[in-house]
Amino acid sequence: MLTCDTYLMPTTLKDALQVWADAPEGSRLVAGATDILPWARDGRAGDVHLPCMVDITRVSELQGYEVQGDRVRLNANMVFQQFLEDETLIRLLPNMPYCAAWFADDQIRQQATLVGNIVNASPAGDGLPPVLTLNGEIELARLQDGAVVTRRLPVADFVTGPGRTELDAGEIATAVYVDAMEGYGGSFQKVGMRRSLVISAVCCAALVRTDASGKVFEDIRLSIGGIGPRPIRLHDIEEMLRGQEMTRELVAQASLKPAELVASRSRVEYRRAVTSGFVEAAIEDALVALGAPKPEPEQRETLNA
Amino acid sequence: MPDLNIDFTVNGRKVARKVDPSRRLLDLLRDDLTLTGTKEGCGAGECGTCSVFVDGKLVKSCLMPAAKAQGADIETVEGLAAPGELTPVQRAFHKTGASQCGFCIPGMVMAATSALRENPNAGIEEIKERMGGNICRCTGYTKIFEAVEIARDVIAGKLPQTALNQDGAASSFIGHNTRRLDAPSKVSGRLKYAGDMDMQGMLHMQVLRSPHAHARIVKIDTSRAEALPGVHCVITSEDVPGTDGFGVFVHDQPIMARGKVRHVGEAVAAVAADTVRIAREATRLIEVEYEELPGLYDPEDALKEGAPVIHDYAADNVVKHIPVRKGDIEKGFAEADIILTDDFSTQQVEHAYLEPEAGIAYVDHDDVVTVISPSQNITHHRHMLSHIIDKPINKVRFIMSPVGGGFGGKEDMIYQGMLALAAMKTHRPIKLVFTREESFIASAKRHPSRTHYKMGLTRDGRITAIEFSMLSDGGAYGMSSEGVMRKAAILSCGPYEIHNLKVDTRVVYTNNTPSGAFRTFGGMQAQFATESMMDMAAEKLGLDPFEIRRRNMMKAGSLTHTQQKLNSASIGTVLEAAEKACRWESGAPTVRGETRGDLGGPDTRQPCTLGARFAEAATQIEKAKVAS
Repeated sequence: MLTCDTYLMPTTLKDALQVWADAPEGSRLVAGATDILPWARDGRAGDVHLPCMVDITRVSELQGYEVQGDRVRLNANMVFQQFLEDETLIRLLPNMPYCAAWFADDQIRQQATLVGNIVNASPAGDGLPPVLTLNGEIELARLQDGAVVTRRLPVADFVTGPGRTELDAGEIATAVYVDAMEGYGGSFQKVGMRRSLVISAVCCAALVRTDASGKVFEDIRLSIGGIGPRPIRLHDIEEMLRGQEMTRELVAQASLKPAELVASRSRVEYRRAVTSGFVEAAIEDALVALGAPKPEPEQRETLNA
Repeated sequence: MPDLNIDFTVNGRKVARKVDPSRRLLDLLRDDLTLTGTKEGCGAGECGTCSVFVDGKLVKSCLMPAAKAQGADIETVEGLAAPGELTPVQRAFHKTGASQCGFCIPGMVMAATSALRENPNAGIEEIKERMGGNICRCTGYTKIFEAVEIARDVIAGKLPQTALNQDGAASSFIGHNTRRLDAPSKVSGRLKYAGDMDMQGMLHMQVLRSPHAHARIVKIDTSRAEALPGVHCVITSEDVPGTDGFGVFVHDQPIMARGKVRHVGEAVAAVAADTVRIAREATRLIEVEYEELPGLYDPEDALKEGAPVIHDYAADNVVKHIPVRKGDIEKGFAEADIILTDDFSTQQVEHAYLEPEAGIAYVDHDDVVTVISPSQNITHHRHMLSHIIDKPINKVRFIMSPVGGGFGGKEDMIYQGMLALAAMKTHRPIKLVFTREESFIASAKRHPSRTHYKMGLTRDGRITAIEFSMLSDGGAYGMSSEGVMRKAAILSCGPYEIHNLKVDTRVVYTNNTPSGAFRTFGGMQAQFATESMMDMAAEKLGLDPFEIRRRNMMKAGSLTHTQQKLNSASIGTVLEAAEKACRWESGAPTVRGETRGDLGGPDTRQPCTLGARFAEAATQIEKAKVAS
C-alpha cells in the first residue's frame, strides 16, 4: 500500500522545481504514476510511506512536443498512446508506434510517459531501445538562484544501470530530444510471457533506410534491451550493414553477433537464442515498413536454424 | 495529514470530496462514492477490472492517484446507460453468455466500449488488441469477442437491434443459447460481491502472515497494535472459544496459526480497525517471536525416515493413501508384448479467480454469527464454524455472496473464522478483502504431482496391465487433498478398460503452500500421465492414437477401475467427434503428410499477433489514395 502525507500538482515548471527542491527527503516525483503503485505492494517494496508526491502532469511547459529542424523535443508528459495516434510523430519517429503498440496495454499507454520510462531505467524498459536509435538526449532542469537551468546528456550516458541514472537531487527530467527520421522504416520486437501487460524478456528496435534502388542499407540503427544492465545500441552491427547490399545471408550473419553481448543474470541461454532471431526480425520488419514484402515465417525459421 | 479537495464530474454529476492524498481513483469511486461496479482484481494494473474513462480515455483507476481526478470528467460502468437500461455492448454480453462469474465483466464492458468508441469499425484482431489489458478467467474470451462483434455491427447499423435479443425460445435448453438470469446485473456493474458490500459501523480487517515456512511461535505480543488509535481488536488463536480446526476432510487447520506456522503466508494474527490503513499499520506493530524449524519442501523428503513432522497426528506426514486394485498385474504384465515405463510431473497452479477472497461477518440482534463470503461450501463451513466458536448451529449463519470465480479455490474456510471471531469480539461488522498477493500466498493451489507409470500392451495395442503410482504435494494442510487423491485414483487409468491394475495415489504434508481443490480435482494430473502414455504407446506400436484408444475404451458392460459395471459409455462418440473436429490425419504419430491439415482451420486458436491497427491504418491510406 502506498501512502503519502501530501500530493502536489504544480502547474508551472518553476513551481514544480521549487516544490521538488523543497520536498522532504524520500519524496517521489511522478508523472503517469503507473509504476509506483504496483511497486508499493507485497512482494516488491511492500507498504511504502512517502512524505510527499510531486505530480508533474499539470505542468504546462511539459505538455506536447515540438519539431525543431531535424530534432523533435518530446516533453515529459508525452504518453505512449500519443506515439500511436499522432500522425506527425508516426512519420518522424517510425519505430515509436511499434514500441507503443507493445507497451503495457491500451489503458496504461494513456498515462505512462516516455520520459518516465527512461528515468525508471529498467534494463527491459520498452521505451529505451527506440530512443537510443533516435539518438535521444535527455533534458534535466533544476533551479539555480531562482532561475530554471537545464543540462542535456545522451540517454545512452544518462542511464547507468538497472534503475540508476545521472539524475541529480532536485532535478526534473523535462524532455527528451530525438532525431526526426522521416523516410526510415521502423520496427520494434519484444518477447515476454504474453502480448499485453508484459515486461520484456528481450526487446529490440530498428530504423532502416535503403538507397533509391532499395537494395543497399544506406543507414541502419539498432538497439537492444533486456540482455544486460541497460539497453544498448548495436554500433558494430550497424557498421557491418551500413552501405552493404541487403542480402538475407548478411542480415543473418550480423544477427548472430548480439548473442555474445548477453550479460543478464537470468535466462542467459534463452536470451541468446532469442536475440539473434530478434535482430533479424527487427531489420526485416523495418524493411517491410518501407514496403518490402513480408518474409514467410518458414524463411525466417530456416535462417534461424 | 492534509486532505485533498477534489472537484470532478462522475457520470455527468458534479462531485466535490475531501480525500486522503494516498487514495487512488479506484478507492475514491468505490469507497467514497459507492460506485462498486468498478472492481479491484489485482491493484497492480494487470487485470483491467478497474477500467474507467477519464476525460474520454480509458484508464486503470488502480494506477491513478485520486488527486489526478481534479477537474476531470469520469465515466464508470454505472454511467454507460440510464438506470434500467443497457447499452448495445451490455446487451450483447448478456446475449452471448459473455459473463460467467461476472467479476471481470464491468471492466470488459468498459474496454469493449472504449475499443468501439476509438474505432467503430474495428476488426476482431484490433478488438482483441484493444482489450488486451483486461483478463477474464472463466470464458476463454470467445463469448466476449463474439459479443463485441455483435455490438459493433448493431451500433454501425449492419445488424438490426433485434440481433441483441435472445434467440428464439426452444423446447430444450440443451444445444440452445439461453441467457443467464444474472447477466444484466453483471454487465451493468450492479451485482454486489462481498468486497462491494458495506454495513453501518463496519470495521476493516488486515491479517499478519507468517514469513516462515515452518517455525514454532514462541510469543505473540499484540499490545502495541491494540494501543494504536482506531484499532478495535487484535485476534490470535488464543481467542478461539471452541474446538479449533477446519478442513474439507481432516480438520487439521486452525483459523490462525496455533503454536506453530506451517507455511509462508499462514495467518498468525488479525486486526480490526476503523480503516484498512490503520489495520495494516497495526499488523506491523504485532511482535511475533519465532523459532525456526527444519522444513519440508519436497514430497519425497516427507516420506524419508526421520523427516520433520508437520502435524503431530500424522507422524509419517501422509495425509492420505488411496490404493485401487483390480485383477492381477503380474499376470497382466506377463501377457504383454511390450512394457512401457515413464515418469510424469505436474506443477503447482493458482486459480487466479478475478475476485480476491472477501467477506463480512457480523453478530445480529439474535446473536447469530453471520458470515457473508463467496464460499463454495457454505453448509460445511457453517458446521465447522459452530464447533470452532462453540455455538449451536442455529446461531451460525453463512450467506454465500456472488462468487467472482472459484474453480475450487474458495472451498476452504481460510478467513471466515477470523471474521467471525473479530465480529464476536467487537460486535461490529467486520470486512476483509484480500489483496491479490494475499490471495496468491494464502489460498490453496492445484496439487503438484509426480506419477510413475508402467503399462503393458499386446502388439495390437491392448493394455494388459497398468501400475500407477502418484505422489502429490499436499502442502501444509489437508484441505481437499483426500478427495483429490480419491478422484485421481478413480480416474487414474482413464476411460479405458484395464483388467489388471494397481493404482496408488498418496498425498503428503510439506511446508509448501497448501494444495486443495482445483478444476478436475485430481483428474488432470492423472489424465496427463495416462493420455501421454497412450500416445507414446501408439508411437511405439505404430498405431493410430485414436485407434489405440478405441481398442481399449470402456463400453457398456465394462468394469471400471473400481469395478463398477457400466450400463453405457460415451467415449466412442467423444473420440469420433474429436477426430472429426481436429481434422485428424489417420496413421501412427510417426507418420505425417506434406502439409498439416489439422492446423489453421475453423475452431483453431490463431497465433498471437500485434499491429492489427497498423494494418487497418495502412488499408485506409491505400483506400484514400485510390479514391483521390
